[in-house]
Amino acid sequence: MWDVIKSVLAAFFGVQQDQRRRKDFEQGKPGAFILIGILLAFLLVVIVFAVALMAAG
Amino acid sequence: MRKGFALAALLAGLSGQFPISHATGWNMPVGVSQVSRDVYDLHMIIFWICVVIGVVVFGVMFYSLFRYRRSKGAKAAEFHEHTTVEVVWTAIPFLILVAMAIPATATLKNMYDASEADYDVMITGHQWRWQYDYMGEDVTLFSNMSTPKAQIAGTEEKGEHYLLEVDEPLVLPVDRKIRLLTTSADVIHSWWVPDLAVKKDAIPGFVNESWTRIDEPGIYRGQCTELCGKDHGFMPVVVHAMEQEQFDAWLAERKQAAAAEAGGVDREWGLEELVERGEKVYATVCASCHQAEGQGLPPTFPALAGNQALMDDLDRHIDVVVNGVSGSAMASFSGTLSPVDIAAVVTFERNAWGNETGDVVQPADIQALIAP
Ligand code: HEC
Ligand SMILES: [Cu+2]
Repeated sequence: MWDVIKSVLAAFFGVQQDQRRRKDFEQGKPGAFILIGILLAFLLVVIVFAVALMAAG
Repeated sequence: MRKGFALAALLAGLSGQFPISHATGWNMPVGVSQVSRDVYDLHMIIFWICVVIGVVVFGVMFYSLFRYRRSKGAKAAEFHEHTTVEVVWTAIPFLILVAMAIPATATLKNMYDASEADYDVMITGHQWRWQYDYMGEDVTLFSNMSTPKAQIAGTEEKGEHYLLEVDEPLVLPVDRKIRLLTTSADVIHSWWVPDLAVKKDAIPGFVNESWTRIDEPGIYRGQCTELCGKDHGFMPVVVHAMEQEQFDAWLAERKQAAAAEAGGVDREWGLEELVERGEKVYATVCASCHQAEGQGLPPTFPALAGNQALMDDLDRHIDVVVNGVSGSAMASFSGTLSPVDIAAVVTFERNAWGNETGDVVQPADIQALIAP
């Protein structure tokens, strides 16, 4: 689980270690990456929105 | 070392040749409001950040190409990934972008905050002139380009403010917050004055807000900056900023003139004075489409000279000018010309260029049509 989150965050950032990528492709389940991806994308939107609200005072 | 020195000398020489200063006309103006200065500063900061990045990136690239060239026996490194380097070159641009976004957002927020204005001016774009309504003051201006036709045709020498001069500038007081409400009566125009850093689209059916606070009295020029038809290049913007007392005097004078104009509706007008006035109205408002001698540009813009069907039907003539022809470029002039102007221009058209009806249209009759 934690490994999936780390890999998804790495994908958001755009940098991933080759060795981990290989491991993900051999052992990971696609569904888990998709689900975590959607959740984290939603979280990102919420964070950006909150920061914008804070900046707008 | 000596090469580096030569390069620095070259750069210094070039920048002496093209100083990056607004005064040369190579750069955007600093302008005369706090917002315009903020915009200028942002522009310069971001420009220099880009220059530094460009010099560093291309410097490293060209140096590496040269220093590690194959003829000197250089061998390419063959590693696949380097997480630290990749993280660094992702994080640095991110931080630079955030650093640029913070002041940019602050300026943008300020530009959009049109609240608590001292004056409200409604700006309406027309094909092809600007209308300024001083809201709550009952003063309306129409601003037409005043560059003579001969200068445009090239038969006369072009003046200093060629295509950037108008008969009625937008007059504003300095050191006051002016809210500008921008809209359009026909197609999309855009009201732009670089010295104020105001550029706002004028869209039919929408009212866009912006504001300015001018620091220095003076005359500031701009243009319509949204392609809006045949005379898009001939609807400049001129702002005349003056001290408050001067502005108050100007406004009072305008109110008086407006009252006198309204009074003019009630009296009986003679043929001569109507034709004289109508000729001016025609030249500023109608001639761009129907042409100077009333010959029109058929089939797009009908001729008015020698238009027998029109001369035989005074009511239709008046109706077309008052109400326009829907679905065509012929707009309704009931909101943009005074009853006196409409009566004058119709009378003029019916007694000019060989049209000799002798008809006299009274302003009072037009007034009755517009506001029965
Ligand atoms: C933007 C271009 C434009 C301007 C400015 C304009 N007109 Fe027109 N006008 C037209 C067009 C196009 C028509 C033809 C409308 C139609 O019947 O489809 C027309 C038609 C007319 C007609 C009827 C002609 C006929 O034979 O039916 C009259 C009269 C007229 N205009 C007077 C004026 C007057 C007076 C002004 C100035 C106050 C003026 N126009 C300004 C475009 C213009
Ligand atoms: Cu325009």
